[in-house]
Amino acid sequence: MLTKEEVLKIARLARLELTDAEVAFYQNRLGRVLDYMTELKGIETHGATSVRHVPLDSEKFRKDEAVNFPDKEALLKNAPALEEGGFLLPAIMETE
Amino acid sequence: MSNLNELDIQSLLSGYEKKQFTVTQVAESCLKTIAEKNPKLNALLEVSSEKVMARAKELDGQSSSAGKLKLYGVPVAIKDNFLVKGWQCTAGSKILEEYRSPYTATSVKRLEEAGALIIGKANCDEFAMGSSNETSAYGPCRNPWDLERVPGGSSGGSAAAVAASMCPASLGTDTGGSIRQPASLCGLVGVKPSYGRVSRYGIVSYASSLDQVGPFSQTVWDSARLLEVMSGFDPHDATTSKAAVPDFAQSLRETDLSQVTLGVAPSWLEGVDSDVKKAFDSSIEALKKSGAKVVEVDLPRTRYSLSVYYLIAPSEASSNLARYDGVHYGFRAKDFTDSETLYNRSRGQGFGKEVKLRIMLGTYALSAGYYDAFYLKATQVRRLIQQDFEDAFKKCDAILTQLLLQPLSS
Repeated sequence: MLTKEEVLKIARLARLELTDAEVAFYQNRLGRVLDYMTELKGIETHGATSVRHVPLDSEKFRKDEAVNFPDKEALLKNAPALEEGGFLLPAIMETE
Repeated sequence: MSNLNELDIQSLLSGYEKKQFTVTQVAESCLKTIAEKNPKLNALLEVSSEKVMARAKELDGQSSSAGKLKLYGVPVAIKDNFLVKGWQCTAGSKILEEYRSPYTATSVKRLEEAGALIIGKANCDEFAMGSSNETSAYGPCRNPWDLERVPGGSSGGSAAAVAASMCPASLGTDTGGSIRQPASLCGLVGVKPSYGRVSRYGIVSYASSLDQVGPFSQTVWDSARLLEVMSGFDPHDATTSKAAVPDFAQSLRETDLSQVTLGVAPSWLEGVDSDVKKAFDSSIEALKKSGAKVVEVDLPRTRYSLSVYYLIAPSEASSNLARYDGVHYGFRAKDFTDSETLYNRSRGQGFGKEVKLRIMLGTYALSAGYYDAFYLKATQVRRLIQQDFEDAFKKCDAILTQLLLQPLSS
């Protein structure tokens, strides 16, 4: 079980607004899952670090080249709010 | 002859070559089945008769390609976490409700170039997080064999569509069993390929060190064909392997089980239901009769897989899902006065319960003070689990396992 403050802190870091009911739900659920994970603490890993999941013959480095997406309109059409071809956000500076 | 929508890929290809039917006829038969069965199953979230019939007509216009293109006229359903230009891509989430795909995923593009026809977008657990298709924001998908049961997940709609003969094949993604488990629950063949075999370009990222694209079909040959078309290096996905892609379907015929050693891990069967055990044992007997040698293998550290998975996948998800901010695309909450509230509220209202749980788990595991104890430890244990597999594969060519410990209750 996590405290209410712990859940709110995680939610703030994760940029998630939670209702009071959700906070109570996640106090319990997150706490239970994290308790289960503590089984890993006792395992001797001998400093094993290299996780080899990428195929050895895959491309390690490629040229860092910018390529324009051919259909800018299609990308922008998915935005909830636009102004003059840019993404619209609330003002961050107060105007006099 | 069976109804056209019930034919497997191999039969479809041979029928087209002999000019027994047209792509339009097959497409009509699939659309008719979808119209009949989808309202109850909720397997497909978007079907466009217009797009399907236009593509069928286009393929009929190049009927000389029958027998040449590897998937000529094969209808395929695509999980709704793949981008297919012009189609929706919700990933089963409210946060992507209005999203329209601006381009097509490499795997789907390769199917289309081989002559396949996209029949619809398939239901799935939200952001592929779930194993029953019940976390979808668009309602659960049901199992065609028994409407009171789940089809499995997260690629539940992809599996249900094929099991209900809406189409002969579909694509899904697998991060922690999301192809293998629904394939099993719907009585299909499903393949989660090796990491790096199939490009992930154009799929909605969940946990990038685990996500893979793979096929569902009625037969092994069909999945082999789909896989060989999709596999291979893609400059848009730096993790794809440059290894040559053999003709998987052809190599099936060359397999002789007398040269094959199969491993069974007794510890994986601990706590298994007696019916599941019976089915598993009879499969082993059948393989032995076909000449395979069966040996015991031990993978002691796989018992930590679940903990490792629940740390690595959510950690990567918390990072991957940071892009859903109510600004660039997708759902935006209504009332906000500043940017911070806009992000928090859009994400809080747009994501479902399970997705928020996993994002927070990952955020916690990656946060200062916990990183070493959780995330780093999990990646180290993953390396040890990998070592167990490498050791086991010194003794055998493949390892057999059941999918679940118990059958699903209704």
